[in-house]
Amino acid sequence: MNPIFYLAAAAAKKPEPALGLFVEKNVGAFFLMLFMTAVVWVMITRARGAKKIPAIRKIAGLDAIDEAIGRATEMGRPVHFSPGLGGVDYPETFAFFATLGHVAKLAARYDTRLINTHRNNYVYAIADEIIRQAYLEAGRPDAYNPDDVRYLSPYQFAYASGVLGIFQREKVAANIMIGYFYAEALIFAEAGYQAGAIQVAGTTSTAQLPFFVTACDYTLIGEEIYAGSAYLSKDPVLTGSVVGQDVAKIAIFALILLGTIVANFNNFGAKTNFLKDLLLK
Amino acid sequence: MRKEVPMFITILAALMIVFGKYFFLGDQVKVLNNMDKYFNISGTFALLIGLISLTMVHGMNIRRRKEGWYNSVVLLVVMYGYLLLGLIEGNKGTTFRWIYNNAFLNLDATMFSLLAFYIASAAYRAFRIRSWEATVLLIAAFWVMLGNIPFGEALGPWVVDGKDWIMRIPNTAAMRAIQIGAYVGAFAVAMRIILGIERAHMGGRS
Repeated sequence: MNPIFYLAAAAAKKPEPALGLFVEKNVGAFFLMLFMTAVVWVMITRARGAKKIPAIRKIAGLDAIDEAIGRATEMGRPVHFSPGLGGVDYPETFAFFATLGHVAKLAARYDTRLINTHRNNYVYAIADEIIRQAYLEAGRPDAYNPDDVRYLSPYQFAYASGVLGIFQREKVAANIMIGYFYAEALIFAEAGYQAGAIQVAGTTSTAQLPFFVTACDYTLIGEEIYAGSAYLSKDPVLTGSVVGQDVAKIAIFALILLGTIVANFNNFGAKTNFLKDLLLK
Repeated sequence: MRKEVPMFITILAALMIVFGKYFFLGDQVKVLNNMDKYFNISGTFALLIGLISLTMVHGMNIRRRKEGWYNSVVLLVVMYGYLLLGLIEGNKGTTFRWIYNNAFLNLDATMFSLLAFYIASAAYRAFRIRSWEATVLLIAAFWVMLGNIPFGEALGPWVVDGKDWIMRIPNTAAMRAIQIGAYVGAFAVAMRIILGIERAHMGGRS
């Protein structure tokens, strides 16, 4: 039979639900999600009930944000803040939003100019609102300048060239970068270094992290950026969710350890890797 | 209402995606595809805000005759001129494509090529031996670079094998550790947003 008929038959085959309810190969992922939800939920509930929860460790990069703004204030020069290239569908962008409110409020309080640049139209619109609100909450609505929240270009390197121009023209004293970055990461970080700015950067992109570590004064590595809202606001409920995140991470580590043991001990005589089968069901 | 309505939409959209992803609804792919369409449509409106922002900032530069105001004139002429050309010709038009291929792509490549110089200066700072960690980094980087060039291959298979080992084992292990942490962190952020604990993206404090 012509192979095309096999292909057509395969394409015509209707997908069957796993366990009569789930999308095939998503059962394990669903229960893992349920477990993580339960862990985070428990910690949030404990925090809401004013019960004792473990403290989160000191994060030098987040502490350095206040220092960077302070330095820019002393020098009378602006602070630049970039969310990178990520859109609103990137969780890193939400870490940016959480930090932006804090940065904007400090900038308003110290009367320091905050230049916030964007390449994503959604992120730009939200950031503009966050900054406006932060200036209002700091009691300085008059100091808010909409021209300092700038949509530069949707194209990566056009955006990068715009930021480089701002570094040179505006002589920024502090450069904060939190979000998802691609190849423009090193362009920003090196240009900021050459401009003499104190730099705090954070991303989950493993390809760009080495560049930040090399060129910036402080780097938030991976999930540290997500702790920003809890760490900076010191809100116990938010802290609870970060603790829950750490507990989930420990559980995943235990799962990895179990998976390694199962794989290395020849599946304890079983023909297939039961753990893998269970997770991929 | 300013916070409640966006909160409600957020929770509804999140639940629709979770259900569409995990539960067999028969036509679940369509649900997710439709969500993507809504996202793209709303993005078009947001793009207009970007256009207005650029016009306002550069219009102000021209009106106040700020330093370099003539650059703002060029920007606005190019932006609206290209937009008009796109509307007349479509994005497959000869002139439209010619400008894109012969002006935009070259400018883009020029900015990208800056990376080569920045990598060199950043690598110089990273590889300066100031601590034992920097020494380890220098040795590992030197080995990986050597393993990637023909000279390294000529020295013997152990150079390439060593390079492969560095990339496959310690490098991958570190990258995966960061990625797993980041995924769990992203999950916690999603939970905070769905539960309404984190509201920074709604223009207010968390």
